[in-house]
Amino acid sequence: MQQQDKYRIALLSAYALALHGFESLIPMPIPWLRIGLANIITITAFILLGFRAALMVTLVRVVIASIFTGSFLGPGFMLSMGGGLASILAMGAVFYVAPGLFGPVGLSLIGALFHNLSQLFLAYLLFIRKIEPVLFIAPVLIMIGTIAGLVNGLAADLLIKGLKNGGDKIQNTAEWK
Amino acid sequence: MSLRETINGTTAGDRVLFIFLLLVSFIGIFFIKEVLPRGNEVVIEVEGRVAYEYPLDSDRTVKVESRYGHLTVEIRKGKVRVVDASCPNKLCEHQGWVSSGAIVCLPNRISILVGSQEKPKDGAVDATAG
Repeated sequence: MQQQDKYRIALLSAYALALHGFESLIPMPIPWLRIGLANIITITAFILLGFRAALMVTLVRVVIASIFTGSFLGPGFMLSMGGGLASILAMGAVFYVAPGLFGPVGLSLIGALFHNLSQLFLAYLLFIRKIEPVLFIAPVLIMIGTIAGLVNGLAADLLIKGLKNGGDKIQNTAEWK
Repeated sequence: MSLRETINGTTAGDRVLFIFLLLVSFIGIFFIKEVLPRGNEVVIEVEGRVAYEYPLDSDRTVKVESRYGHLTVEIRKGKVRVVDASCPNKLCEHQGWVSSGAIVCLPNRISILVGSQEKPKDGAVDATAG
């Protein structure tokens, strides 16, 4: 990993954290419901810098966000970590198996789906211990996740194109650090 | 670099996946109820012992009596309520229609458990209440 990539990963992680924090300000009908705006950054990192960078950005975001909110190693952290890892692993796997099939939007949808599936599974394993309520909520969660995933994917797509076009500026940002 | 361009620039895979996920979840929302076993029961306990058990989807009205008083339970359209209780403050009546959870009438020592919870063992009511 190049020195410059490290800077970029650090910068992207900071953006992801900021979005993660900003997202908690958006009122939601159900408190644990999230749009997953930070995933915009994960996808951007994945497309521009590759799987390892995206994994790194996810890990940094989950760990530091949980330290900020004081839930490090708590149950919420487990859900967050499980969801984040499942999402990035699934995106990596799909991209590896069929590189040209999906753009940022498709990857975002895959990420959202696996994020939700793993969180449902973890919630079942850790808290609920009953299969009926989990199965009951699953389609609702997947539908919301799909819509949120589309929004995130489009945002990531725009961001990636913008970054590619203004490549010099990014270069400068990294060197300026 | 407009949003429209970005939407037009999505791959066929993206679009198929999006529509597929929406369809699956949409169908899932409507059909998961049918697939799940209807373990929904109304269990009426009198003085800590199970006295009546009814499926939640059978409409009926039951009069339940204990040594302390009586109340009438109405089951209709998957919901349960107490219509007439002999206790003074009628908390159970005010609770209205309940589709999951429990209605407890302490003065009469009668509790109505609604939903697919595990059945409490006999004598599970603690000493103060029972």
